[in-house]
Amino acid sequence: MADGSSPPGPDPVGPASAVRPFLVTAGRVAPTASGKPVPVETQVVATAEGLAGLDLLSFEQHDIVAACRRPQSIAELAARLRLHLNVVRVLAEDLRASGQLTVHVPDAGVAHDASVLRRVIDGLRAIPDSLGVLRETD
Amino acid sequence: MASAPSPTPWGYFVRPTEPLLGGGAPQTAVRPPLPVKLVIAGGFGVGKTTAVGAISEIEPLTTEAAITEVAAGVDDLTHTPRKNTTTVAMDFGCLTIDPTLKLYLFGTPGQERFGFMWDDIVEGAVGGLVIVDTRRLDDCYAAVDYFEHKGIPFAVAVNAFDGQVQHTMDEVRWALDVSEGVPVLVFDARERGSVRDALLVVLEQALARTEG
Repeated sequence: MADGSSPPGPDPVGPASAVRPFLVTAGRVAPTASGKPVPVETQVVATAEGLAGLDLLSFEQHDIVAACRRPQSIAELAARLRLHLNVVRVLAEDLRASGQLTVHVPDAGVAHDASVLRRVIDGLRAIPDSLGVLRETD
Repeated sequence: MASAPSPTPWGYFVRPTEPLLGGGAPQTAVRPPLPVKLVIAGGFGVGKTTAVGAISEIEPLTTEAAITEVAAGVDDLTHTPRKNTTTVAMDFGCLTIDPTLKLYLFGTPGQERFGFMWDDIVEGAVGGLVIVDTRRLDDCYAAVDYFEHKGIPFAVAVNAFDGQVQHTMDEVRWALDVSEGVPVLVFDARERGSVRDALLVVLEQALARTEG
């Protein structure tokens, strides 16, 4: 059943690139030989050097560096540029190694950091609902 | 410089205590915010994208998480002949808490056959929200089991479609067999305030855990 029909729910992903996804990474599928993939929320930022040399880059590399004028997560890059997550991971590592991007891997301890959690909680509480009404304080 | 971020094979770790302005790598023009990730799980059509969209400051983005030979842990897919072609959509959104802190919400397909990709998405998440449609309770078992097994703080949120819930919360809790400490709540995935409150329940769970 699960394989027989396309499931309802979220819209299918937009048109796929005509180029096989991993052609652009020369077949490489992981950022490093042994390393775990970086988390999808990992922040990527273009360096001044990367932006200055933008014209020398082509295709995906160009698009990634250009998109990273403002910090972007790996997931945002994949969605906005319609690239496979792992393709973005590989290319971001290449561009980091060549000095065009900085890659900021979130520390694993963030999830257990009470001060960070409190800041998120306080920030969320300050968000009004869709009618503009603030949350009742308790 | 003592406060310089430590290089890693991939770049620099962002530590929560690290000052996010000034210093840092000489080439870095902009300091990115610290990302905090929360996962929203549940079956197809249960309201994940709606919930993300209700609170995200950007239109929910969709990225393709493909079931291919490159995905980790494909062992359980070896019986699937079309394993190279299957893709699943993963929706996500974000919310800037302040210039140094950003909350990411990732909606992941809840069915068991996508379990292989959860590790990739969930790694490092502060917590999870499992959205439930009481007409199709079994769609969320895999997600509940996953969070329990991984020890990730989570809450179960029953989406009240048109304000209707078919079962009492006790019935849902019993049917899902969730631990006593796991909050089970009713919410409306379309309503920003309701989604906000559901996320707060998850974050309070996560915070309580850090405080032992």
